[in-house]
Amino acid sequence: MAEKIQHIQKQERTEEEQREQDLREIEDALVENKEVILKSLFTLKHADDRGVISLLHGLFADGDKVLKVLADTLNNEENTKAIRHLLLLMGVAGKLDVEKVEPLLLKVNEGLRRVGEAGDTEEKTGYMDLVKSLKDPEVNRAVTLLLTFLKGMGQEVEEERKTGKTPPD
Amino acid sequence: MAGKMEVKINGKKVTVDENVSALNALIDDEQQIPSVCYHPSLGAIETCDTCIVEKNGVLVRACSSGVSGGDEFNTVSKDVKDAQKIAMDRILYNHELYCTVCDYNNGNCEIHNTVKEMKIEHQSVPFEPKPYDKDRNSFYRYDPDQCILCGRCVEACQDVQVTETLAIDWEREQPRVIWDNDVPIEESSCVSCGHCSTVCPCNAMMETGMEGEAGYMTGMKEDTLRPLIDITKGVETGYSSIMALSDMEASMRDSRIDKTKTVCTYCGVGCSFDVWTKGRDILKIEPQQEAPANGISTCVKGKFGWDFVNSEERLTKPLIREGQMFREAEWTEALDLIRRKFTDIKEEHGADALSFISSSKCTNEESYLMQKLARGVIGTNNIDNCSRYCQSPATMGLFRTVGYGGDSGSITDIQKSELIIAIGSNTSESHPVLSTRVKSSHKLHGQKLIVSDLRKHEMAQRSDLFIRPESGTDLIWLSAVTKYIVDQGWAADSFLEQNVNGVEHYKETLAPYTMEYAAEMTGVSQEDLIRTAEMIHEAGSVCILWAMGVTQHQGGSDTSTAISNLLLITGNYGRPGTGAYPLRGHNNVQGASDFGSMPDRFPGYQFVSDDEVRRRFEEAWQVDIPKEKGLNNHEMVDAIHDGKLKSMYLKGEDMGIVDSNINYVHEAFEKLEFFVVQDLFLTTTAQFADVVLPASPSLEKDGTFTNTERRIQRLYQALVPLGDSRPDWKIIMDIANRLDAGWKYEHPSEIMEEAASLTPLFAGVSYQKLKGYQSLQWPVHADGTDEPMLFADRFPFEDGRARLYPVEWTEPVQYKEEYDLQVNNGRLLEHFHEGNMTYQSEGITRGTPRAFVEVSPQLAKERSLSDGTVVRLISPYGAVKLPCLVTERVQKKEVYIPLNDDGDGAVNRLTSSYADKDTDTPAYKEVQVKMEVLEEGGASPLPKINHRFGNPQPQIGVQVEKKWQRSDYTFPGDIVKGWDR
Repeated sequence: MAEKIQHIQKQERTEEEQREQDLREIEDALVENKEVILKSLFTLKHADDRGVISLLHGLFADGDKVLKVLADTLNNEENTKAIRHLLLLMGVAGKLDVEKVEPLLLKVNEGLRRVGEAGDTEEKTGYMDLVKSLKDPEVNRAVTLLLTFLKGMGQEVEEERKTGKTPPD
Repeated sequence: MAGKMEVKINGKKVTVDENVSALNALIDDEQQIPSVCYHPSLGAIETCDTCIVEKNGVLVRACSSGVSGGDEFNTVSKDVKDAQKIAMDRILYNHELYCTVCDYNNGNCEIHNTVKEMKIEHQSVPFEPKPYDKDRNSFYRYDPDQCILCGRCVEACQDVQVTETLAIDWEREQPRVIWDNDVPIEESSCVSCGHCSTVCPCNAMMETGMEGEAGYMTGMKEDTLRPLIDITKGVETGYSSIMALSDMEASMRDSRIDKTKTVCTYCGVGCSFDVWTKGRDILKIEPQQEAPANGISTCVKGKFGWDFVNSEERLTKPLIREGQMFREAEWTEALDLIRRKFTDIKEEHGADALSFISSSKCTNEESYLMQKLARGVIGTNNIDNCSRYCQSPATMGLFRTVGYGGDSGSITDIQKSELIIAIGSNTSESHPVLSTRVKSSHKLHGQKLIVSDLRKHEMAQRSDLFIRPESGTDLIWLSAVTKYIVDQGWAADSFLEQNVNGVEHYKETLAPYTMEYAAEMTGVSQEDLIRTAEMIHEAGSVCILWAMGVTQHQGGSDTSTAISNLLLITGNYGRPGTGAYPLRGHNNVQGASDFGSMPDRFPGYQFVSDDEVRRRFEEAWQVDIPKEKGLNNHEMVDAIHDGKLKSMYLKGEDMGIVDSNINYVHEAFEKLEFFVVQDLFLTTTAQFADVVLPASPSLEKDGTFTNTERRIQRLYQALVPLGDSRPDWKIIMDIANRLDAGWKYEHPSEIMEEAASLTPLFAGVSYQKLKGYQSLQWPVHADGTDEPMLFADRFPFEDGRARLYPVEWTEPVQYKEEYDLQVNNGRLLEHFHEGNMTYQSEGITRGTPRAFVEVSPQLAKERSLSDGTVVRLISPYGAVKLPCLVTERVQKKEVYIPLNDDGDGAVNRLTSSYADKDTDTPAYKEVQVKMEVLEEGGASPLPKINHRFGNPQPQIGVQVEKKWQRSDYTFPGDIVKGWDR
């Protein structure tokens, strides 16, 4: 005689059991991926040394707000023009016959350096705008770091180019 | 060469097929012709003008231009390119390019790809928003600002789906797509079949499941998205760099969105499509043109009804009954318990004390394994499946007359037939996609339609002739029409002579079915009956579709036989566009029986009693198999009451709701000594179980389904099983192996291989031949050839000849006078049966929250009923409580109850245990009740957003002529020719 029943007693683990199982799963994952994890830790340490971690924290903690500020800031004629030029340059670079234009390029480099200096003053104005929009000091710091980071990264590549090293794939 | 001709394309001689459009001829020649509004499944729409080419010196739209021998085409001249560019500019004026942050940027956006192919860098007329807001319902949205007015959605809605909701209003200043007579989507007649979002070339009509989900950057809020779009536009150096960026993003999406081919798990039409998943999220269903049964078509359930898969109510652990509750348990414990109980019961009462019920929701392989478990491991033929509830009588009728129990041809035969007769089939709600083929052939290609039904449902409303015979009297009018055809000398004599036995005797048995008698018994006028006969006689090809209105009667098998007899007499077998089509109800009703879950048949309908067949299976399985046929579903319930049947193992079927006379069935369940139910949810049936096993639905497993066309199609696993649930084939194997069967299937393909090796009907079936969208329609011969159309050469009897099989009318169940209302019952479009799966869809439930009882205006007036009046309907077997819906679909004292209730409104509380005398299929349709009014003035059971309250606006296609007549329209070809001058 089996009457109709609807109640289900869920298999509930105690907090302790659940914790034990979770820990075991984590432990397994750590052991299985030892190499990757150690490498990641080193990478994370470097990132933290450079302030990237707190930058990312700021970004993610208030993601939509930051993105909105960034988008609004980027969304003026000056900046879109800049990106537009960048894209155009990329297009041109692909079409260049490098050997023939090498002497020209050297001159362009010289010109670019000057543009770079002029760019510095412009960047200051943009940065101030950004600061104005960012009332949250945490976010403020994050964006500052991001720009510094990007600048540093650009310089490094330049140097590498000059020494003739090709970056690994 | 026949069917070929020579033309010149860009000065080069090319041979092209006859009867192709210029566009197809050019595409075949590998010319790059943009064609944004063209869709192969919709044909030429002519709204976008991008396919302009020069034909014999004149600029024309390639999509709508024919080809004659000697034509000269130019696809590269400046005029051609200029005209195409003008056309594309007009499209971009209507569509903002923000591809990288667009959910439709998945590599298949026609606008994106055309801009790229045409190497368009800039547009001459900038995009301008339209003065309309986005509109949406639960399933899709329309964004007028992205809509390029190509009209694909309108073509699909008007001429493929034929719901006739969409139109483009070309007359307003800013044209747009409108619903009905320009109402919001939710207030329209839209049935959410999904055709519009499937064919839309861009993101204008989009599935809501895609919104904010498909892209990496599409999930952001509107006020962040807007500046980003503006940046993208400000940056615009020419579109090619934007395109490159968005292409990159689109390729990145491939790594996290899986597109898996599956076969729909709802009705028997057998729609197949890709399901797009991201993790466990189902983003959308993407039908493919190459899908053999449905092409680009779907209905609301197949396109949008998949929420049940991720429902929190899914069972994720085995349940074991313990006192007044179920306890979640591990598989080991559940399987051990099953082994112990099965073994004990078998030892104490014999193998025939156990029974097994397969599901027409499960795969062919699972049906095969279930009968192998019953016969080969337990040693009983007590195995059946739930097609016993619907289509066994149709199968019987066909076995008697033509030898194969399946549809005679394909859906394409139905599509091209000159006359369709639908009997007891609410086709547009029960087999929605199949019905679209009838609706569109009827609307566009002069197909005639006769409908015989109690209810004036959509098919009836569209028919050329609608007859309403008294419930259960179809056999009479069918026989009378057959007799009339014979008497008029219209029988297909030479066909009969060459192919059919028993002709003269059969003709004699028709003697009682005179027109007078038929008119008197059925209530259909002699005039209409004669008209029916004439229409059959005049038609070059006839298909008869039938469903539960025929089969669920005491004479269900006989009426099915009468249908087949009529087709034989008129020679409507073995030719394209002809035949018998018992429309199968579930995704795998056909396959569940095909693969042997029947008490008297092995796979392929081989008799258990046939010694040679049995020996073949015994040798393959290395077991002894009993010779005597087992119990069918219906008999099992009786045997439980009689105390002979002690155990039942049932999967994928809510028998406690869908069997007839469920109070009697519930009492049987309570008497079972051991009851195992395997399902996705704790269904009403499962609530009676001792052990409930959590199964995985179609999206979580591999396998094959066989649709109503006898078409075997593969489904591929799209998701991992939820929690500890398992695919049914694995569970059956687990149980078998606990009982020492030693099965070692690693994949369903191995099960199919074994089944094919033992079954001549499937001799050539293999997973290799079913790869992707490939399919096979049985019989499949050893060399791998199949038979989309049966009986072309012979009928599968020893002498190759069909048989006319005389039948007599069985009077329906008679009720006392107090039971004065005739109850009809069946499906609704948007719910599947009791609704275990479809109620999990929030969108479906919003539009159709519950079951109801449809009453006629006459009855409403007589009993003071209005929408929402709650009534109790009482039959001799039980009672239901439901709110009323007054509708002209029903007449007089007939009421209609949809199946979608598993509580107080479950229709099978009313049905009896009477059944088809030949197959034991319950006579669900033979119910009469009396009515008590319980409460007046309640709310209507159907909310105003239900499509049934809409107001369709039929028209043919998108009516592009109205676009051309606009004062602001000039054909791009004329503009460039003007420049030349």
